[in-house]
Amino acid sequence: MTGMGLLLAGVPFLAAVPFLAATVLTASSGRLARALPPPTAVRLLTLVALTTALGCGYVLAVTAVWALGQLPALATIGHWSAPVLSHSELLPPAIGAALGVLVLGLLGASAGRALRHLTQLHEAQLACRQLGPGVDGLIVINSAEPDAYTLSGLTSRIIVTTAMLKALPPAERRALLAHEASHRRHRHHAYNQLSDIAAAANPLLRPTARAVRRAVERWADEDAATQLGDRPTTARAIARAGLARDAARGRHQSPDPRETVTTAVTHDVPDRTRALLAPPPRRRPLATTFVLLLAATSALGATAAGHAVEQQFDHAQAGYPRQSLGR
Amino acid sequence: MVAAADAPVTPSQVQAELARATGQELAYTTVMTTLARLHDKGALDRTNAGRAFAYGLAAEPAELSAALTARQMQRLLDAQDDRAAALTRFVAALSPEDEAVLTSLLQDHPAPGDPGAAARPSPPPAQPSEEAKPR
Repeated sequence: MTGMGLLLAGVPFLAAVPFLAATVLTASSGRLARALPPPTAVRLLTLVALTTALGCGYVLAVTAVWALGQLPALATIGHWSAPVLSHSELLPPAIGAALGVLVLGLLGASAGRALRHLTQLHEAQLACRQLGPGVDGLIVINSAEPDAYTLSGLTSRIIVTTAMLKALPPAERRALLAHEASHRRHRHHAYNQLSDIAAAANPLLRPTARAVRRAVERWADEDAATQLGDRPTTARAIARAGLARDAARGRHQSPDPRETVTTAVTHDVPDRTRALLAPPPRRRPLATTFVLLLAATSALGATAAGHAVEQQFDHAQAGYPRQSLGR
Repeated sequence: MVAAADAPVTPSQVQAELARATGQELAYTTVMTTLARLHDKGALDRTNAGRAFAYGLAAEPAELSAALTARQMQRLLDAQDDRAAALTRFVAALSPEDEAVLTSLLQDHPAPGDPGAAARPSPPPAQPSEEAKPR
């Protein structure tokens, strides 16, 4: 029984591991995204967000099943002994039910988010088709509103308005196009979408998803700077484009409250400009290892917790009254 | 280049602008052929301007489908908060502080020579300061 006691003591600890990882991520995502070279930051943070989201969800589900397994009705159906499962009184079935509802809620939220992204990809794909191939995927739109973006479905188009082209000197125009080409080439939208789904499955990961979005822009910025071989020009392109878009929006309409709110907190555009005026990012083996360890820890913690609960059920099934089977 | 111009441009204007932007001279015929190809593809409109053709952005079929597409994109643009990942924008909206910071960053790091500054209407903060121009 001591082995089992040890096992039981271990389960809550193991179960807490993915949540600890998620909490560490909540606190450190922003700093990690700034410290790591952007491509590394995007890939690793997306990976660790997905792993942690899955780990947390799995642990919650397993714990819910364990707690609910103590219900005599379920024990009879599953042929296990309810008393053996309720060996510890840590988790009454009521908590199991609450956890079950939570798991279903989070699962629903992430499925909904995934569906929304799929719909948007589809809409973007339709728009891409209607826009035609463009010149190397570049579509110039006649518009007085300075704007530039990459629209990504299965294929993608770079859309730039004439007003944006007019706002930038030629070298900065090339920086803008190189930035958008990087989005296309590396399918950056996929990282944004995956980390957003992870954040829907686990709200603790919201800062991580935001960090991925920012790092994706930085990735494209760094690519543009490398392609031009000119960091200051790329920095100026971002600053000028930001100001041009802002000036036009101020003239035409009151700013969109949603967008203002989200960016007022983060100051993305000035941060990106400053980062390009600073020396290029260096490799950070320590930070990289830290993120990889975090991902591994939450995966291992979740697997081990699942394994421990499985053993509980094995014990409980062994303890199931034989005569009811033998009849 | 053509899209950024206010009026239709001739091949020689494009050639001059390209030389200024990239620092390398392209043959006049190269530029002319490229523009003519783009015209054949329907990307550009051309009009007679003296001895050469002047090229402008094609407006017609693009405009029609653009109206259709615009509605579709508008929905994606509307959803442009933290959620619409299908659309990655070059620059996000700015807060008033951001604006001030960017204006001063541009003033502190002006473009060397600022090629093409005379040819285009630039926003006031984009004006490079005089002393920063290389001798």
